[in-house]
Amino acid sequence: MATIHDEIDSWLAADIHGELSEDERSALHAHIVDCAACRKAHQENKVMNKMLEETLAQEKPDPAFEQRMLSGFRNRIPERSGLVKLLVDLMRLRAVQITAVTAILVGLVQMGRMITGENATPLRDRERYAQVEVAAPQPPESRPGQAGALARSGGVAAGRPQDLALEAPPAAPATRSKFHEEGKAAGTTVAPAKAAQPEARDVETLVVPENAAMGEEATQSPVESPAAALANRKLIRNATVELEIVSFDDAVQKITAFANEERGYVATTSSEKQANGKLKGEIVVKVLPENLDHFLQKLRGIGQLKNQTLGTEDVTKAYFDTDARLKNARVMEQRLIDMLKTKTGKVSDLLQVEKELGRVREEIEKMQGELKYWDSQVQFARVTISLAEKDMEEPASFLLKEHAQLALYASDVEKIYNEAKVLASPKVQITNAQLDRDYSGRVSARVSMLIAPEESETLISRVKGFGRVENFQSQTERIAQGGSGMSQNAKTKRDKVELNVTISREEQEQAFQQTSLRIRTSAVDEKAKELRSLTEKQNGRVRSSTFSRDPDGHEVANVSLRVPMKNYSALMQSLNALGRVEDVSVQRQDRIGGQIDEASAPADISIQVYSQGNIVSSDTGLVATLRRTLAQSAAAIMWSLRMIGVAVAFLAPWAIAVIFVVWIAKRIARARQ
Amino acid sequence: MDPNEREQYRAAIHGERDAFEMIIRTHSRALFAIAYGILQNREEAEDAVQDALVKAWKTRWRVHDPEKFPVWLATIARHRAHDIFRKRRTVPLSATIDEAIEPNSAAGTDAPELDQQLHSALAALPELHRAALTLRYFEEMDYRSIENILGLSNGALRGILGRALASMRKQLRPALASLD
Repeated sequence: MATIHDEIDSWLAADIHGELSEDERSALHAHIVDCAACRKAHQENKVMNKMLEETLAQEKPDPAFEQRMLSGFRNRIPERSGLVKLLVDLMRLRAVQITAVTAILVGLVQMGRMITGENATPLRDRERYAQVEVAAPQPPESRPGQAGALARSGGVAAGRPQDLALEAPPAAPATRSKFHEEGKAAGTTVAPAKAAQPEARDVETLVVPENAAMGEEATQSPVESPAAALANRKLIRNATVELEIVSFDDAVQKITAFANEERGYVATTSSEKQANGKLKGEIVVKVLPENLDHFLQKLRGIGQLKNQTLGTEDVTKAYFDTDARLKNARVMEQRLIDMLKTKTGKVSDLLQVEKELGRVREEIEKMQGELKYWDSQVQFARVTISLAEKDMEEPASFLLKEHAQLALYASDVEKIYNEAKVLASPKVQITNAQLDRDYSGRVSARVSMLIAPEESETLISRVKGFGRVENFQSQTERIAQGGSGMSQNAKTKRDKVELNVTISREEQEQAFQQTSLRIRTSAVDEKAKELRSLTEKQNGRVRSSTFSRDPDGHEVANVSLRVPMKNYSALMQSLNALGRVEDVSVQRQDRIGGQIDEASAPADISIQVYSQGNIVSSDTGLVATLRRTLAQSAAAIMWSLRMIGVAVAFLAPWAIAVIFVVWIAKRIARARQ
Repeated sequence: MDPNEREQYRAAIHGERDAFEMIIRTHSRALFAIAYGILQNREEAEDAVQDALVKAWKTRWRVHDPEKFPVWLATIARHRAHDIFRKRRTVPLSATIDEAIEPNSAAGTDAPELDQQLHSALAALPELHRAALTLRYFEEMDYRSIENILGLSNGALRGILGRALASMRKQLRPALASLD
């Protein structure tokens, strides 16, 4: 019971407020009975509870409290108007939020594309697709018009255009009115036109123009085209044939004979003789169209067929259109003439009529000419035959062209250059001579000459004698003339030899062999001088030399010299007398293809003469290591800085986009309140 | 938590006014009790509740878990009441004290005197104790609900109320003795 006593306050509170369980309550009451202090507290608590209940009951909110709270709330937060509420409600949807973010991102990407200039091809594709879709439904619309044309053509034959216009199924107004007009024109002009046409052809075609038009219009549906319609078509047939034949004249004769057989004629002939004696030419033959295929068949017998094209142009529609217009124009002419005959009205009106008559007549003539032209085209098929004799490409002769390149080294370039120029003679033609001297004093010369073939051998060997030959190249080219390929009976002719000579100073010559070595000795300066004299003894030259002494007393002399190859070994031998020869390395360049005089070819030797004691490299030691380490770390820092820059550049646009989106989201959240 | 209740909280968080107004109807008394516990003034407590409701509506999106909505509401009300309490402090104290004391000394009757004593005893309590008491005596809420709304752990209220009553008892002992 000690626990109850210790925590009597909470037990008593719970008891008063009815929060004790049955067992707890009996335990508490048992304790209260025992303990006087707790009993007293219990009594006081009961009184106080009552007091509290009474006192606080007065402070309780009145029944209208909730209503007050509600109306206060409504006053302070008025309901949003419809649109704003809808928007806010929409923004609340997760899907809408995602869509908005996606749209923003896509917009950013698109903006980026615009900035970088990438074009939006997919969009264009879609547009095109839409256009195709729009265009597609059109053909069905035009079909009633076609049907109308068919029905109407029948009506023209019956001579009742008015009824037919009614019978025709509902078509587009424009086409219907056109039909109507044409039908009327045809109906009224049949009789006078018939009288005006002298040619039988016109009488024949007069009745059927609309039929033909029907055939033309119905080309998409082959069921509608009977053989009769085909016969009335105006077709211009053209063929081109390319043949390889043995003899041009024979072929022309044969073709003329074939043309006659097929009731045709040879329109034009042209021929041309080639350099190699072969003939080629073109013949234009006109034959009746129905015989064209047969004629072409025959042509194949003449020679080898290389190429053949057969073209047919259908001018039916244009022909009959012009024909119809011609008829209209004739009616017009007749009317104008009638007007002039009656001679009523003012003079100016009559003049107007005459002017109009002139225009109509001009038109009529133009159309007649057009029809005649088409008739002539249709009447005969045109066959263009290109003929070429066999071995057309055989060359007439060959030319041997020799090119020679010579590179010389000489001690005096200018002298050789002048000598070469003096060589000019009737048989030797100097085409180009040039002496170059650059700012560093290097001299080189180029001489180009054309030599008569019989002189070339001797002259080239003479030029070779001018200096040391570094390189000589000669190439011969066989050029076919008047054709290509091989020919057995073509002549071969030698052309002038072209010789290009390049003269350079010996100094510029690359050494045949390069040697580098080190000599350790005590008296560097002295030995270097000795080396110089040794070189001169061996007919060599010192090209450069340096001497240096460092604070430690180490002396180094670098000498580079050049000797002829024949003296190379002798010099090397004598070097041993100077000191200890070390680190000898030899590099030899064998030139392939060049003609080299090895004995006189130059050999370069670079010698480092240095005094006893090691030459300490500045690359070793503590300081050098420290310096290297510092340099490396600096480089590493620079590198990482660069990488950070790259990362920032890479991420910044996205960061901006994300910040933007977050900002928008925050704005929306705030707007919702 | 009752699924219906939960759904109501969720709807309110998502900005459905009807749901929120329903919550106002059901919870504003408890909020008043809490505010009164702190302020011990009905007008001020009402203002505090009103402000708290408006603030709750404006910042409702901050609540992620609908179950925590009532506790959160209570917290806002408490904070608001504190704010008002603090502002009151800046008003010269002497006037209110004089006012409070004068009738006390002047009125000789027992009942108002006892009332005064009770109020001052209440005022001497820590505010959490006071809030628990008001919740209990205004709304007759059971301990569990009070613990929930005040964000207390299970069973803590017993001790709090026990201590509150005990300390009041001590203060009011003379008066109580005279009553007996």
